[in-house]
Amino acid sequence: MDNNKDCSMYTEHVESGKRKVTLSLTVNGQFVVRDIDPNMTLLHFLRDNLKLFGTKEACGEGECGACTIIMNGKAVTSCIILAVEAEGAEITTVEGLAMDGKLSILQEEFISQDALQCGFCTPGFLMSTRALLDHNPNPSDEEIIEVLSGNLCRCTGYHPIMQAVKRAADREQKELGR
Amino acid sequence: MISRFAYFKPHNLNEAVQYLEKEEKSYVLAGGTDLMILLRRNLINAEHILDIKGLPETAEFNFVEGAGLTIGASVVVNQVVDSEVVKAKYPALNQAAASLASYQLRNRATVVGNICNASPGADLPPALLVYDAVVNIAGPQGMRQVPLHEFFTGVKRTVLQRGELVVSVHLPEPGEGDKSIYIRQARLRGHDLATVGVASRIKPDGKVAIGICAVAPTPKRLFALEDQINARELSQETIEWAAKEIREHIRPITDVRSSAQYRLQMASVLLKRGLLTLIGKEA
Repeated sequence: MDNNKDCSMYTEHVESGKRKVTLSLTVNGQFVVRDIDPNMTLLHFLRDNLKLFGTKEACGEGECGACTIIMNGKAVTSCIILAVEAEGAEITTVEGLAMDGKLSILQEEFISQDALQCGFCTPGFLMSTRALLDHNPNPSDEEIIEVLSGNLCRCTGYHPIMQAVKRAADREQKELGR
Repeated sequence: MISRFAYFKPHNLNEAVQYLEKEEKSYVLAGGTDLMILLRRNLINAEHILDIKGLPETAEFNFVEGAGLTIGASVVVNQVVDSEVVKAKYPALNQAAASLASYQLRNRATVVGNICNASPGADLPPALLVYDAVVNIAGPQGMRQVPLHEFFTGVKRTVLQRGELVVSVHLPEPGEGDKSIYIRQARLRGHDLATVGVASRIKPDGKVAIGICAVAPTPKRLFALEDQINARELSQETIEWAAKEIREHIRPITDVRSSAQYRLQMASVLLKRGLLTLIGKEA
């Protein structure tokens, strides 16, 4: 497994009646250390502690994909992962996609294709797609469908999302030489 | 917010077993795709969570020529889906793994967790059962091995005793010419629990093995039906006969996903489709 840092060596200490653990990880390229409750989910850690509100909570049970982030290169649903499990992990959230105030190609194509309406599912779709294109710059339709099957959108429909992903893959190959 | 618990991630199997033995309300965490739901819905009262992902034994994912495949308790389902060895040697397992939940969940959910959760409708057990999988269990008295068909004792129940923990599951190597297939019926094409799932295998000597889920309190290997089939010549007629006979070997219930009647019918269809595909006849 990927996060094999020694968690048994955590310095557990009592703080206002709670057993806290120290968590250190890298989020969007920044090294972060926080004392947290062991029962906190990774999703709530990102939102409540780091104030990264791009990652959404909808079903809270790993079914809808709204909370998808990239953890050690893999798309995962952060609502059903404990924050402590991310010890030593490299995490990318939707906030990590834009660079220097400029949207990424992937984000631009979601806009150009109208691949969102309410936008609540969008960060999850973006992160699932990002993980896919990082491993497979030129995916087939079937591969895109398979990887996005864990992300639910209730307003746009999936056709514009497919178009956005395919256009982003094309552009990334041309413009970034992937 | 989920209930408070202490979190422990040992790096040594003995430590893990001692902890599970000592702490009564302790639960094993691997992928967490089942456990986190139970915690969130307050269906269990966990005071201790033991994360096994730090145990080196659980990371093993290894095929040894002549010995077979070992899948450690931390190996996630997508590792199995992506494995070329599994595709070549254990196709039914590859197909079952690829059909489980959604892509993101397969990045976390573990093969062994799918066994230990002991859901009657779990996708991986039918495929593991037809390969004569053996479960490696660590406990206070040391290691013990339990055949997977003896591992499940009821809905969400297994033979695991207090202090015990599944380290890995082992599948013997199939011989040259071994064929297998897993077919599941679900309500929709996207991710859904199986209404019925059937794994069929024809061994090099022509003997048939059948594993099935969601038609009994536990996933089952249909030994009695296999014996009846294996006493005959494996022809299209035998397969059609077996597809009718399978109804006598399962006891499905009616629930939110399907009626018992539909499950009986689908078990019949899926077995026929699977075996006909394996003998090269159109289903």
